[in-house]
Amino acid sequence: MGMLDELKRLDQELDSELKQTDSLSSLEALRVKMLGKKGQLTALLRSMGSLSAEDRPKFGQLINERRERFTALLDEKQKKMQALEQEMRLKAEQVDVTEPRRLPEVGTPHPNTLVLNEVVDCFTGLGFEVVEGPEVELDHYNFELLNIPKNHPARDAQDTFYIDDNVVLRTHTSPVQARIMTTRKPPIRIICPGRVYRADEVDATHSPVFHQIEGLVIDENISMGDLKATLAAFANRLYGKDIDVRFRPSFFPFTEPSAEVDLTCVSCRGKGCRMCKNTGWIEVLGCGMVNPRVLDMCGIDSKKYSGFAFGIGLERITMLRYGIQDMRLMYEGDMRFLRQFR
Amino acid sequence: MKVSMNLLKKYADILVSPAEYESRMIMTGTGVEGIEDLGEKLQNVVVGRVLTCEPHPDSDHLHVCTVDVGQGEPLQIVCGAPNVAAGQLVAVALIGAVLPGGTIKKGKLRGVESCGMLCSGPEMGVPVELYPSVGEAGILVFNEDHPLGTDVRDIFGLNDRVIDFEILANRPDTLCVWGVARETAAAMNTELHLPEITVKDCGEGDISDFARVEVKDSDLCPRYAARVIKNVRIGESPAWLRQALHAAGMRSINNVVDITNFVMMETGHPMHAFDLSKVRGSHIIVRRAQKGELLRTLDGKDHTLQGGELLICDEQGPTGLAGIMGGEESEITEGTATVLFEAAAFDRTSIRLTARSLGFRTEASGHFERGVSPATVLDGLNRACQLVNELDAGDVVPGIIDLYPEPVQNQPITASVDRINRRAGVCVSGEDMVSILKKLQFDVKLDGDTLTATAPSFRQDVDGEADLCEEVLRYAGYDLIPTTALRGAANGGRSAAMLQNDYARALLSGMGFYETMTFSFLAKKKLEMLNLAEGDDRLNPLPLRNPLGEDSAYMRTTLLCGVLTTAATNMAHGNADVRIYELGKVFDNVHRTEENLPTEKNALCLCAYGPKEDFYSMRVAAEALLARAGVNYVIRENEEPFFHPGRRASLVCGGTVIAEIGEIHPLVMENYELTQRAYAALIDLPALFDCAAPMGHVKPIARFPLVTRDIALVMKNAQPVGPVMEAMKQAAGRMLEDIQLFDVFRGVQVGLGNKSAAFSLAFRAEDHTLTDEEIQRLMNKVLKACKEQFGAEIRA
Repeated sequence: MGMLDELKRLDQELDSELKQTDSLSSLEALRVKMLGKKGQLTALLRSMGSLSAEDRPKFGQLINERRERFTALLDEKQKKMQALEQEMRLKAEQVDVTEPRRLPEVGTPHPNTLVLNEVVDCFTGLGFEVVEGPEVELDHYNFELLNIPKNHPARDAQDTFYIDDNVVLRTHTSPVQARIMTTRKPPIRIICPGRVYRADEVDATHSPVFHQIEGLVIDENISMGDLKATLAAFANRLYGKDIDVRFRPSFFPFTEPSAEVDLTCVSCRGKGCRMCKNTGWIEVLGCGMVNPRVLDMCGIDSKKYSGFAFGIGLERITMLRYGIQDMRLMYEGDMRFLRQFR
Repeated sequence: MKVSMNLLKKYADILVSPAEYESRMIMTGTGVEGIEDLGEKLQNVVVGRVLTCEPHPDSDHLHVCTVDVGQGEPLQIVCGAPNVAAGQLVAVALIGAVLPGGTIKKGKLRGVESCGMLCSGPEMGVPVELYPSVGEAGILVFNEDHPLGTDVRDIFGLNDRVIDFEILANRPDTLCVWGVARETAAAMNTELHLPEITVKDCGEGDISDFARVEVKDSDLCPRYAARVIKNVRIGESPAWLRQALHAAGMRSINNVVDITNFVMMETGHPMHAFDLSKVRGSHIIVRRAQKGELLRTLDGKDHTLQGGELLICDEQGPTGLAGIMGGEESEITEGTATVLFEAAAFDRTSIRLTARSLGFRTEASGHFERGVSPATVLDGLNRACQLVNELDAGDVVPGIIDLYPEPVQNQPITASVDRINRRAGVCVSGEDMVSILKKLQFDVKLDGDTLTATAPSFRQDVDGEADLCEEVLRYAGYDLIPTTALRGAANGGRSAAMLQNDYARALLSGMGFYETMTFSFLAKKKLEMLNLAEGDDRLNPLPLRNPLGEDSAYMRTTLLCGVLTTAATNMAHGNADVRIYELGKVFDNVHRTEENLPTEKNALCLCAYGPKEDFYSMRVAAEALLARAGVNYVIRENEEPFFHPGRRASLVCGGTVIAEIGEIHPLVMENYELTQRAYAALIDLPALFDCAAPMGHVKPIARFPLVTRDIALVMKNAQPVGPVMEAMKQAAGRMLEDIQLFDVFRGVQVGLGNKSAAFSLAFRAEDHTLTDEEIQRLMNKVLKACKEQFGAEIRA
């Protein structure tokens, strides 16, 4: 006896202790107890000196086999326990994924800006350049060069804010066009977004301050067909491919012929609803071929060049786009309104 | 402008449905704002004869009648009117009839079945001017004969639709029934039947025996024409005339006045009728008013004139405002025996300005403001006389006074068929253009490509090829315009200013700010509420000459007022955690441009309030805008009086103030009704971009390790850490990659009046690993600088 029994006992001890081990630390203690420098298997190896020379290698091999077996068993147990322990930790760390948290607040530009960006992207994509000009403007550019002579009804104080006899708050962004026409040579392809002013009292659909986007193209052989295509591109980009454009005869002092532009009602898509008064069309903007007299006044040869111009009311299309019923909301700045846009 | 379809159909054939007609008119340029069916509330009411009328067995005031309505068996109807009697011709509302008060149903009255109702005038809602006896008590009894079963709307002239046309500013010629009829005939391609104007005068005497007219200011009155009617027989107008006026929303007065109103409606020429016996000296003088002259108009109002208004006067003085309203004195009355009809053309601007300055507008002034053609004045005048003949309202005196010193005549326009087509983008043949223009009563000639056209005398808006192009296109159809994409490449894009705004918006959105917009006007008070020092340019805003009110009398010199107002609104509405900004122009009235306009500057103003906000949260938001653009700035003192004096700063680059940040001063909070502390930043975007360093090439990534050293320095409590850190950077040089303040401590341990500030410094060299000795050398320099410049000692 002695050694062989001892080995057998160790086997049994390991098996039983392994079964009882329930933590990585006790497993580690077991490993030390068995395989450590002062462990039982090491002690057994040391005690080999008492064996005969012929038994020694045989026995050494048996002990090494035990060492490999014990190591394998301990490693296997350790792996299992580690997996178990991680599983338990993860379970303990479980959170209520439905518990609410505050979102990081990300702001937005004003609805007017959001729509303006769409419009500007559409026209810059067609080769239009954005040009801006002063809001406090000379009468000369706001009226005179646009074929709205002195004493024209459009100049009435009912409609126009005056600073003095020669200076007004621009009533449209067309004076920017006039400034460009007097300083540049054709071809011209510009849009002029900006604030404009009219002496209207504030209500749901009127405001003394609002925004326009006016466009101007001057080149040789520009026709009303070019104008229609340009505006169709705009309408389709903003409201969808199924939107049609309809021109109706109209009158503006700086264009001839002039047209009022209707789009397929964006609410009912042309079927007829309250918004379009059952006509299937909504009036969106005014446009026309630049009056040759305006070209001549601005120093552009109307025999050689022709052009078109259009004017879009930004608030109007923003209200259509988002279904805003009252324009005052856009200038009040209530967060409950502003937080709705994206 | 409202036009009766019945009247219109006298002059132009309309063979299609109202809806189709409306659409055709809209597409040729005469807008339709609405169509009103005059008889909508009077349906299924017919003429019937009362055959029998017996007292009701169970009532002391009801009658049981049998009524023949011209179809089927007579109807049994119970009637409560005391005036009902057998043999009367009455208005019978049949079962299912619609009246203003509701629908008629079969019913029983005290046990007797009643199959309809006999109507009174008020029950049918018929105005007195349409049928004079409707005002009488009891049921309406027709005194004249009508076939049984006749729809009563035909008798009252209510079987009509009134179309409200939208007349374009350049087409005053269509501001009348004939004008619309001309457009209608052209649009529907039907015959136009305007009446031939012929006047039968009485053959005796001459107008010069009755009246004299003198136009002293013919610049404001290019044409003045008059005719005289004697033996005037004032009376009621016939039904057709009363009905026509009613449909257009006008009241019938008497035959002479009605003629003038009807002619204005028909021809677009406002007329005036004078009682000639009240025109002193029988002498009409047209002249400008002198300052201070007094005038009483027809409506009984007294006016003191500013001078320059065009007046109609007699030898004693003013009797009427030319083209706007006549005088009370020469008004037509029952006793008027001799009438002078005036038809004239007045200067549209003069009429408009006078009407505006006196604060009233009449149908006539409306016509003159839009422009009445001098060329067709006599058509109006003679049409009135023709109607006097027809209505037998008096005897027309031979002769016309017609003062028309400079007759206007439309000149022929030479145009090119090809150019018209190229402008419109369509392809209409020269022949088709001729036929369109002929339909519009132009005088046209075509010679190859050359089109020569003269507009009819009633048109004043056609004076060039572009106008002809529009006429052609209107009738060829705007729908013909194709869509042809723009040709040629063009280099489009956003303006520099727009890109700057885009930059700010993108960053601010990311930082949780929402864009707001407010009006560019403000009350001066709002600026004063900012606590600004006297002499501040911002207290000198640009005033409007005609503001809507005191609240919007000036152009803003800063965005702060609008943004603070928006913040206050949000506080009042209970909105928590608010970050907003506005981007827009501010107007510097003191510094002027070359054109002597105020300087307009693109400004940005941020504002925030809420538990997470403080001075620093606002400062870092502003700093982010500068830093992201590569602006190398320092924090400096700020003295804006609307900020808390201990919580305000400027971000400065090379002497330019780019941003001003602060907590709102309690006084300003109170002024703006801010109920919580709020923080604001004013940012000069153009300056920011002037100072921005353009992005160059990227730097290589450093390969050598970063070494950090923490130090705590004790300094005076009042010592700002900013300059200390700047000095540290200066001293350490380019090896110092980053420096952070991570703690500030105040307590007895560091001495009273002192604070300890802890910094973390990170060093790195591009080309080698820094040694301890090197770092120690750098740290020594840093400590030395801190000690020498700020007396800051390393904390023991």
